[in-house]
Amino acid sequence: MFEIGFNDKGDVAVSGRLDAAQAARAQDFLDKVSERCVIDMAELEYISSAGLGVLLRTHKRLMSGEAGLELINVNKHIADIFRYSGFDKLFDITVI
Amino acid sequence: MRKRYSRNFDQIQEIVRDTGQFFEQEHIDESLRMKVDLSVEELFVNMVSYNTETDQDILIEMQPIDHGIEVSLTDFDVERFDPTLAADVDIDAPLSDRSPGGLGLYLVLKMADSIHYQYHDRKSKITFTNRVAAE
Repeated sequence: MFEIGFNDKGDVAVSGRLDAAQAARAQDFLDKVSERCVIDMAELEYISSAGLGVLLRTHKRLMSGEAGLELINVNKHIADIFRYSGFDKLFDITVI
Repeated sequence: MRKRYSRNFDQIQEIVRDTGQFFEQEHIDESLRMKVDLSVEELFVNMVSYNTETDQDILIEMQPIDHGIEVSLTDFDVERFDPTLAADVDIDAPLSDRSPGGLGLYLVLKMADSIHYQYHDRKSKITFTNRVAAE
């Protein structure tokens, strides 16, 4: 189960499992974002390379306009995936 | 566990459910779960995406080992493709040079404690293990 939407603060909130079966839905949502964007990952349980690809494509598109993604409330397991992938050097990340 | 899955990303949900049941039944340490889920998904997705010359189901096998788990994925009637030889990813490259391609197999190789590839009679089989780190 994967969910994506805006929370009360206006941040993008994601929850559940962002895997290859859900990546297209996440990409469709994030393709509509045009300004700097915070993604609250407090409820995100899992991410695979398909999900990493969504984040990378969106971040590159936004950075071309000097915006970009900020990833907050990242759990330890997902932070490990970001570290293995080198995403900790590309994104502003706040771990829980 | 020994089960076949059709070549569809929608099968990932069922694979995750079956993996969870296997962990519970065999009392496998939950700390390995994320690594196993990720490696199984990446290898399954790779087979579905690139071994398009076959329509046969993909076999996934899991068995408990000392302090961990051994997992195999077998694809039938396909060309040889050894994921252990996948190109390295430059994780220090600047954003402008990064692309999502190749990250999946890179993560599998990074996270598995051992990984082994066999190819015989057009059967492509990849086996990996994950063990709880010794304290």
